[in-house]
Amino acid sequence: MSAVATHCPYCALQCGMDLTPTGAPSSATTTVAPGGREALPVTVSPREFPTNRGGLCQKGWTSATVLGVPDRLTTPLVRGADGELAPASWGEALELIARRVTAIQAEHGPEGIAIFGGGGLTNEKAYALGKFARTVLRTPNIDYNGRFCMASAAAAGNRTFGVDRGLPFPVTDLGGADAIVLLGSNVAETMPPFVQHLAGARAAGGLVVVDPRRSATARLAEDGHAGGNGIHLQPVPGTDLVVLLALLHVVLAEGLADHAYLEERTAGFDDVARSVAAWWPERAETVCGVPAEELRRVARLLAAASPSRGGRGAYLLTGRGVEQSTQGTATVTATINLALALGLPGRVGSGYGCLTGQGNGQGGREHGQKSDQLPGYRKIDDPAARAHVAAVWGVDVDTIPGPGKPAVALLKSLATDGGPRALFVHGSNVVVSAPNADRVRERLRALDLLVVCDVVPSETALLADVVLPVTQWAEEEGTMTSLEGRVLRRRQATDAPGEVRSELWILAELARRLGSDVAFSTDPAEVFDELARASAGGPADYSGLSHAVLDADEAAGGAGLYWPCPSGQPEGTPRMFLDGFATPDGRARMVAVDHVGPSDDVRADAPIYLVTGRVLQHYQSGAQTHRVPELERLVPDPYAELHPQLGFRLGVPDGARVRIASARGAVVATARWTEAIRPDTVFMPFHWSGAGSVNRITTDAVDPISAMPEFKVCAVDVTPVPDGLSDAGDPLGSLAADSSARTQEVPA
Amino acid sequence: MNTLRVPLRVVIVGHGMVGARLVDELLRRDADGALDITVLGAEPYEPYNRVLLSDVVAGRTDVAAIGMPLVDDERARVLRGTVAMSVDRDARVVLADDGTRHPYDHLVLATGSSARIPAIPGLADLPAGVHALRTLDDAREIVAATVNGPRAVVVGGGVLGVEAAHGLAGRGLQVTLVHPAASPMERQLDTEAGTVLSAGLEAAGVTVRTGVQPSEVLVVGGRAVGVRLEGDVRELGEVLGAGLVVLACGTVPETGLARDAGLAVDRGVVVGHDLASVSDPAVHAVGDCAQPPEGSRGLVAEGWDQARRLAERLAALAADHSVASLPAADEPVRGPREHLRLPKEGQRPSLAVRLGALMSSRAATDHGIETRGTDVVKVKAGSLSIVSMGRAGTGRTPAPGERTVRLSDPDAGRYVEAVVAGGLLVGATCVGDPRVAADLTAAYTRRTPVPADPAFLLLTPVMPAAAPASSPEHMPDDATVCRCNGVTKHDIASCVRDGASTAEDVAKATRATTGCGGCTEAVCGLVDWLRTTQVADGDGAPEPSTADAPGRPSLTSL
Repeated sequence: MSAVATHCPYCALQCGMDLTPTGAPSSATTTVAPGGREALPVTVSPREFPTNRGGLCQKGWTSATVLGVPDRLTTPLVRGADGELAPASWGEALELIARRVTAIQAEHGPEGIAIFGGGGLTNEKAYALGKFARTVLRTPNIDYNGRFCMASAAAAGNRTFGVDRGLPFPVTDLGGADAIVLLGSNVAETMPPFVQHLAGARAAGGLVVVDPRRSATARLAEDGHAGGNGIHLQPVPGTDLVVLLALLHVVLAEGLADHAYLEERTAGFDDVARSVAAWWPERAETVCGVPAEELRRVARLLAAASPSRGGRGAYLLTGRGVEQSTQGTATVTATINLALALGLPGRVGSGYGCLTGQGNGQGGREHGQKSDQLPGYRKIDDPAARAHVAAVWGVDVDTIPGPGKPAVALLKSLATDGGPRALFVHGSNVVVSAPNADRVRERLRALDLLVVCDVVPSETALLADVVLPVTQWAEEEGTMTSLEGRVLRRRQATDAPGEVRSELWILAELARRLGSDVAFSTDPAEVFDELARASAGGPADYSGLSHAVLDADEAAGGAGLYWPCPSGQPEGTPRMFLDGFATPDGRARMVAVDHVGPSDDVRADAPIYLVTGRVLQHYQSGAQTHRVPELERLVPDPYAELHPQLGFRLGVPDGARVRIASARGAVVATARWTEAIRPDTVFMPFHWSGAGSVNRITTDAVDPISAMPEFKVCAVDVTPVPDGLSDAGDPLGSLAADSSARTQEVPA
Repeated sequence: MNTLRVPLRVVIVGHGMVGARLVDELLRRDADGALDITVLGAEPYEPYNRVLLSDVVAGRTDVAAIGMPLVDDERARVLRGTVAMSVDRDARVVLADDGTRHPYDHLVLATGSSARIPAIPGLADLPAGVHALRTLDDAREIVAATVNGPRAVVVGGGVLGVEAAHGLAGRGLQVTLVHPAASPMERQLDTEAGTVLSAGLEAAGVTVRTGVQPSEVLVVGGRAVGVRLEGDVRELGEVLGAGLVVLACGTVPETGLARDAGLAVDRGVVVGHDLASVSDPAVHAVGDCAQPPEGSRGLVAEGWDQARRLAERLAALAADHSVASLPAADEPVRGPREHLRLPKEGQRPSLAVRLGALMSSRAATDHGIETRGTDVVKVKAGSLSIVSMGRAGTGRTPAPGERTVRLSDPDAGRYVEAVVAGGLLVGATCVGDPRVAADLTAAYTRRTPVPADPAFLLLTPVMPAAAPASSPEHMPDDATVCRCNGVTKHDIASCVRDGASTAEDVAKATRATTGCGGCTEAVCGLVDWLRTTQVADGDGAPEPSTADAPGRPSLTSL
């Protein structure tokens, strides 16, 4: 059979790949032979595509393994009277859900039902989910895990530029710049093929990485020819904003700003300039721990790379490291302010961008699964937007609910007084990926009904009353929108196993069983056409696109089309803002911000910072990657990085078990000594459940504007685990062995 | 309370760094319009960052870039160029030079300090060419005077004098720093550290003269032409010729208004931990003009921290304020506990310009305020890095339980001292090592655990990236060669042993080089070396091919 051109199931780089069907059965009913790639239904080969230029990381290469995992969900599961999940027919499962939903609605009203979506869902699924919530359930309570990763950059981008597209330029543009600043982003682990786009800046000595750890990405700045390929700044956790305020201070103090650009293209500069007058580099140094002269060096490097001073271009890029903070919106705003002062955004070859994380983290935030949004990135409280979308959906505008609670607040409210009693989870493993995860688990256990759609029995699925098996990437058609706003086709290469269905079908069935007469197509191309109509005139306008248009573009050698792509503008918009920003007067709105510091700062009983992050071999909660032996072999267990000086001080040798406790709880992991981390900081990757699941102790304090939680910094105490004490012992108390199923009966 | 609430009237005298900060802190805390604020500022300018005046002198900052945020709020009136002349404490009214009267419920003195002018001949009225460095006018005049002649004398080798001398030398002037003590910054640095600093200044072009002080400023035709020295002079009556003389001889708190109003004044306005005058609970003092129980170092961080503490107290009073609730003179003093609070959601300022980290005053004891964290002295002298904090250098009286470690490396311009007690860094000095200085500051202000052996504090803890192995031979077997695909040297060696002869063969078998491609050169080199050694070992590996140019394997060949 011939190869099917599609994209990787994992991150937002959406590397091009070809899937060649092997003729093997689509479902592994028993076990897959170790390393037996030939037993899988498809083989993966990299495809030349602008984002990955023919490269794939190990996750992408091994992605087909997830199609054949032995514990793939292939039938609906319903928790029986014995408390165990047992196979059920679709009819039984859906009827049960419909009956329970109706009962809960009768008792608690439409707000009694909530939906939690995901940034890995296709545009079509994300759209259908938002529509289902607003038209069938009529609940305001829908949000998604993108709140954990994209919300701060989105809030800042919308506020300043009037629109939020992660990279408002093709990723390949980065290659021509003299300087690239990566703030809180470890692309060498999280999207490895992206590193190719840093080559130009590295060659120019202009790669700047801001990270409390000397990460794999930071090493890219330090390695290389004499003097290195750039600069690594290593601030105290939670002080990235100070670094940015000081950089802008230096740019203004040394007369390096692009005043002509500021005059012509921005508003609010004077306030911002005054606000950074208090952040001279020596003061900033005492707060952020970065030497004043290093701050000056970076500011000068950036200015020299800027077009107004004759450089080839400069980019400032933010990632989760700076965004997942109670001052994440402010930090992104400060980044944008710096970019504007240098005259970068809206110029070819320069700019600001946010490195979107999840596969469809961009599209996922545009089509209405966000609590305050309607399709096309419209605001749900905008009367014109409501009227437009209501007409597309064929519903009375007044039946569309208003804004709901953002993710953390939504999860906290579950089964509380006045909170939702039922939750649908789609494409998210919240008990591993949400902050303060033990509280989330408690809330889920307290629900009257938990329905989880997933491909494997994730930790969250195991808590559900009803588990619905759904299609995954190679088994479905649809579209994804890359980190650059490039709309891509996801194509089916193999049939889904067993009774697996698409969420589109599930939502249509539930709508019908719940007595709704709102139309839900199960054909992804039709859903896309409806999505395109709903988005028409919105900031993220897809109305000029369809599956057919995208297929034709690809057949003609195109590489995807960028939104906004209104129907009269079939070429789309690879580069935004060239003629003006998406604000009423076309000017970027500069907003003064200031540093406050982490919500959970170090203190006598928690004197160490904890930062969290990722490893190359795993993706998010690891529901997929822990099931890939080649990945699991390399990084099987959670670990905690700490500096030898700290380890020695605390009596925690390299390789020993270490207990890390915050105000919310404690975890246990294996200590790894490394001289690449600040001695006042420990690092843990968050891809695990169980005793080493770091999100059990991260804080769920949120940014006041974006409602994004502060995953990236909290205060902890670090202590050795005495020999002979098992992880399930006292250090964790009741936290251990928490994968036990719910024993509560499902009310019939 | 059903009483009609009227706003609490707060009059602030002084609109410098601390007075302006206080306005901002008050407004941020006043959610319901319970405050009515009047600020009297003597200077005619918009608020500016006085700390940066030495940077203006150095040419390191554009004067236009030191403007601080303007107050734009109906609850606060800022009267620029208005001088407070007297305070009628009985009537609770401030009288201004323009005849206006400003009644208050609470008065805050933030009058700052003025430059100390030595009482020597020639300085009775400052002649042209002689300037203190206290105001924007001073800084502008000094910059203008740098064109008058090539030589300058800076009198006083404290922090400001060091910054000014270094800055003027950076402008190309021949600068002599005249300092009466044995070494500069002797309030912070011991002689050894001071000597390293002197050497750094000399290397930057500053002539450092210690043990001498001016006995007279020579004036010709109303212009300064030189400074006569006394003390450790090279010849009796030694004169340093200079067309520019900068006086950095310390400051004198501006207490005239307080003294005239009958408030207790010592060096500064005497206040308690609550920053209220010991003579009148309705009058407060913050910043350089205040003399709190814990003392004052004249650092802006201290003044800003005081502004924050006072704002919390006044905002709390305002919230409770009603017509009849003026504080009685014997009202119990509110403790300093308020400032221990962590910020809550929704209390986030947007425009506020604040000290930032909670580092400023996290610790308080029942004995009073512990100021650790606000006492970091960081000199602004470009690449010359000097920082002093806490109980270190000459600011330290050795105490039981403390350990001090020092690294003295004068030939390299480096001196580091760390003082540790109870597992925490309680003081440090660092000259000439900016990375270590930044780490010490972070450890000091945040009280993070210090190493078991404090000697580790003397060097940078985060090691630079390990140099890549110079040859494949020296690479450990488990070293990851291809990060993107987790391929080690061992994997590649196995692959070559199994017959792979090119990087493309290795890529097919292991996927090395197929991610970001960054390891292609390393893989090619490794394959070449492995084949050579394995052939030499006689293990039957095929002959090396000759035509393989290093380069990324074509993926279509996979």
